[in-house]
Amino acid sequence: MAGADVEVVDFEPEDEDLLDEDVQMEDADAPAPPPKLKSTITAGRAAAATAGGGSEMMNIAGGGPKKTKGRGFRDEAAVEHASRFASKEFETLGAGGGGPGPQRSVEGWIILITGVHEEASEDDLHELFAEFGEIKNLHLNLDRRTGFVKGYALIEYESKKEAQTAIDKLNGAELLTQKISVDWAFSSGPLRRRGARRRSPRGGHRSRSPVRRRY
Amino acid sequence: MADDVGEFYVRYYVGHKGKFGHEFLEFEFRPDGKLRYANNSNYKNDTMIRKEVFLTHAALRECRRIIADSEIMKEDDNNWPEPDRVGQQELEIVMGNEHISFTTSKIGSLLDVQSSKDPEGLRIFYYLVQDLKCFVFSLISLHFKIKPIG
Repeated sequence: MAGADVEVVDFEPEDEDLLDEDVQMEDADAPAPPPKLKSTITAGRAAAATAGGGSEMMNIAGGGPKKTKGRGFRDEAAVEHASRFASKEFETLGAGGGGPGPQRSVEGWIILITGVHEEASEDDLHELFAEFGEIKNLHLNLDRRTGFVKGYALIEYESKKEAQTAIDKLNGAELLTQKISVDWAFSSGPLRRRGARRRSPRGGHRSRSPVRRRY
Repeated sequence: MADDVGEFYVRYYVGHKGKFGHEFLEFEFRPDGKLRYANNSNYKNDTMIRKEVFLTHAALRECRRIIADSEIMKEDDNNWPEPDRVGQQELEIVMGNEHISFTTSKIGSLLDVQSSKDPEGLRIFYYLVQDLKCFVFSLISLHFKIKPIG
């Protein structure tokens, strides 16, 4: 704890940095320049590591100082992250473009079911979801420790309409006495931050630190 | 509930440098919903796989739920085996006002966990990593129709 406090002080300059970047990011959201995909997270780590340890991720989510823990913060090798995720293009499907909506996958539309009872079976899900269209794929993953269902399932339909109907009809339904939530798994663009980021009430740019691109 | 998804970031890395160069698997969940996946295996001239896709709030929330349920944030890597020549694992998570960045060696089996200095903590890490990998592999393989390895 005491150690963490000291570290927090260290990170303050980075904090300012990040606030700027937040603002920058929102602006950059729409017609982003053809991106040289660079992980700010990893690149930032590298920068922060050379600047005396630590990573910027603590700040990426906004809010106050974070409690940090772990050897990863002192690890010189952190610099390496930059090269792994940076500069190379990542493959994506579709244009991404527009506002967030469901994103089509290679062969269909994937929905996510959460709140799945730990004793639910593939048959249970099949029975419930096949009503809206042929199920092309079903993943019901297990908890590696207990061997019971982890609590979520992924189902693929061929058409968007089938998937949408399943979502409309079964979101909030009951499966083995437990209420399930049904929603799309993939989004066509970045999520809107629903008020999760508190902008500084003082407003305005507080420092002129170099801008790091996020995308 | 969806509101706190913003304060959330996860990155996992496992890899080593050896006969086949730098082989690793890495994925991250970013606050804007972007899931990134990279897998580099040079064995038999395999090439790097890099995929990324945006997740919905629902999917991000499920990832967060898995992590919160594991209580990994209460652990500390102080007494875990140090990364070594055989390999390195890194798990970085930002959740709320907590930020962890744990490193350790590769864990072959539960035996390694049992014989470590912090079996309880390492066991949580061991299972959480598997559960996260499982989630990511399902998402990536369903979306891109590939078989991720790791």
